[in-house]
Amino acid sequence: MADPGAGRRQRGRARAAAAGLVPFAFVVAMAAYVAGPGSEAIGLGVPLPDVSIERIDFVDGEIRAVVRNTGPVPVSVAVADVNDRIQPAAVEPDGRLERFESALVRIPFPWNEAEPYTVGITTDDGTRFERRVDAAAPSLEPDAGTAGLLATLGVYVGVIPVMVGLLWLPFMRGMRSRRLVFFLSLTAGLLLFLGADAAEEALSLASGVTGEENGLDAGFGGAMLVVVSASLSFLALHWAGGMLARRAGGSGNGRASPMAAALMISAGIGLHNLGEGLAIGAAVGLGEAALGAFLVLGFALHNTTEGIAIAAPLAGSGGPRRTPVLALAALGLLAGAPAILGAWMGGFLYSPLSAAVFLSIGVGAIFQVAWVVLRWVRDMERGPGGPGAGFPGAAAAAGLAAGMSIMYATSIIV
Amino acid sequence: MARPAAGRAMAMALAAAAAAALLLALAPPPGQAQQEDRTFLTHSGAVVRTSGEVLDPMYAVSTVEFDPDAYLREFHYGTVSELPDGTVLREFTIVAEDGLVMEVAPGVFYNVWTFNGTVPGPTIRATEGDLVRIHFVNNGSKEHTLHFHGIHEARFDGVFEPVGPGGGRFTYEWRAEPVGVHPYHCHVMPLEEHIAHGLYGVYIVDPKEGRPPADEMVMVLNGLDTDFDGENNFYAANTVPFHYQHHPVRIQQGELVRVYVVNMVEFDPVNNFHLHGNLYHYYPTGTDTVPSAYTDMVTLSQTERGIMEFSYDYPGRYLFHAHKVEFSEKGWSGVFLVGESGPEYG
Repeated sequence: MADPGAGRRQRGRARAAAAGLVPFAFVVAMAAYVAGPGSEAIGLGVPLPDVSIERIDFVDGEIRAVVRNTGPVPVSVAVADVNDRIQPAAVEPDGRLERFESALVRIPFPWNEAEPYTVGITTDDGTRFERRVDAAAPSLEPDAGTAGLLATLGVYVGVIPVMVGLLWLPFMRGMRSRRLVFFLSLTAGLLLFLGADAAEEALSLASGVTGEENGLDAGFGGAMLVVVSASLSFLALHWAGGMLARRAGGSGNGRASPMAAALMISAGIGLHNLGEGLAIGAAVGLGEAALGAFLVLGFALHNTTEGIAIAAPLAGSGGPRRTPVLALAALGLLAGAPAILGAWMGGFLYSPLSAAVFLSIGVGAIFQVAWVVLRWVRDMERGPGGPGAGFPGAAAAAGLAAGMSIMYATSIIV
Repeated sequence: MARPAAGRAMAMALAAAAAAALLLALAPPPGQAQQEDRTFLTHSGAVVRTSGEVLDPMYAVSTVEFDPDAYLREFHYGTVSELPDGTVLREFTIVAEDGLVMEVAPGVFYNVWTFNGTVPGPTIRATEGDLVRIHFVNNGSKEHTLHFHGIHEARFDGVFEPVGPGGGRFTYEWRAEPVGVHPYHCHVMPLEEHIAHGLYGVYIVDPKEGRPPADEMVMVLNGLDTDFDGENNFYAANTVPFHYQHHPVRIQQGELVRVYVVNMVEFDPVNNFHLHGNLYHYYPTGTDTVPSAYTDMVTLSQTERGIMEFSYDYPGRYLFHAHKVEFSEKGWSGVFLVGESGPEYG
């Protein structure tokens, strides 16, 4: 097919691509000049090494520390100490750590249960970094028994409470629009609270406020790690939700169908419960059994309300007449089961970085779901039979307020 | 309903897979090793295997740039000549530097300030009444001086006569007195910094009649604050932590041992010296011929020093260390290996 315009278009495209690449090439050239090998253009200041001890495990006759180079320059681990007393030790796979590389330091040490220990690492330039553990406790053995115990905790915290909450569905079904607006707003309120709660958790973790036991080194960007992870998660879910709604033909206004909304709420809450599982698993893993038990009780009570959040969209007039029990159970599992996964992760391979990232993903997901629900409420209020044109109306405002208050009240039990 | 739900499920599966991949990438390395090929000892003697690197300044035999074994029994008597009146003149040259970065413990590098390239500087030794003349050269980047403890004229005190950097010179001179063991060090402000970086050494004045023959050695008790937080990270006898633990000091059963001990630790108010399986006669500052104590423990403040004399009745390995256990567990401990007297030893 001879198309006289094709060649020109191709040339035009090539030119556009080149135009896009030219500024980039300049940036690369400048970076190479300033910071490339052999460059002495920038020799200002002294880069200070930084090492963070991310995790400390107490195993049989040995203390194990995961150390990560969180500074701007490569370092070598030279000396290990316990309570500021030098100990023979080993570092695996080796002590040379490039930026962000981690290694395992093994210190044979006859530690005593429930006593505090400070583990110190000295690098090749003589700088010592340390981390304190308030009470030594044997690390969880990654065997079937422990996995079963953690899974049980996850079921108590995630699956059962959410399922119980779903039992409110028949109560809410066939409600008048105003009441349903109240319950949907209540859901939004719950979600806003959960989102803020998870955000606070992620921020304190990422900015090292949790400090002694679980903080993440500032080298990972602190609050910005949370902001970016949460935003990406929000955008991804927002895009996916919109695309699915359009493909389903939906209502044409980009709003999700009731079942899709319930599914999204379940998924968002699932990510949140992953975070709760992490908290419980980590508490058990760090030997804080009392804290673990408290978390289990508190989260269980708290998560019953999450079932309401999932049930609310299904109860509306646009929703299915009858929701198959299996579908309901699947929704409940989607929301609750991640707590099991979280408990395993928290107990067996806790790292502050992965915990902060997962919590942040949960934050984005929850806020996105809250957004979907609030739009729905707004449409209902404006729509036929709706309470009025103003948003939020009395019912929506009351629902939001009640949702947040309930969550606050149940959360302070933890 | 089915298609979107399936699509969403797939999207979620993808998200979960991505999250799992991220988690794996961020997860700590596994504790199990593929290849167990190195071993090291714990305090209790247990053997631990590792696939990685051993971090053990205590029991693993290691050497660094500075050799505490050579320093231990190395005495500098200077270039000797005789003045017309019969006085023995001993001339020494001491060069200060402050730019060296040296491996002070296995794998730990520190900017040491040195006299003649080592910490401690050379052990200067003279006999009571000798004329000691020290040609001091400052090749450092800061002002330095030599301040000797002992008796001398004010102008040779090394306090108000800073010697400029980059080759500055000064000649110190005095009659060697009193008999004993004394420290010398730089006396430029900030003094703590100049001493803590390593500008010190030992000066011994022997009595005219001499001391009974003995296996003589010098131990400077010092510390290194490698991260400049005002606390020592390492302690040692003769700079290198734990050196005499894995390189025991060999002595002989029944032979008199004389240790010139000088405490140069900064930041910590006291240090001490405890000997195992034995007691020593202690001569504070070495100025008197009568010992002040027969003990296995003396406490030493800054620049406090003395002479310890002992001999072992039984062969074997005997620890000596600070009984301030923090110091000994950070490097100030060592072993005397007492060999059986007999022709085969040596």
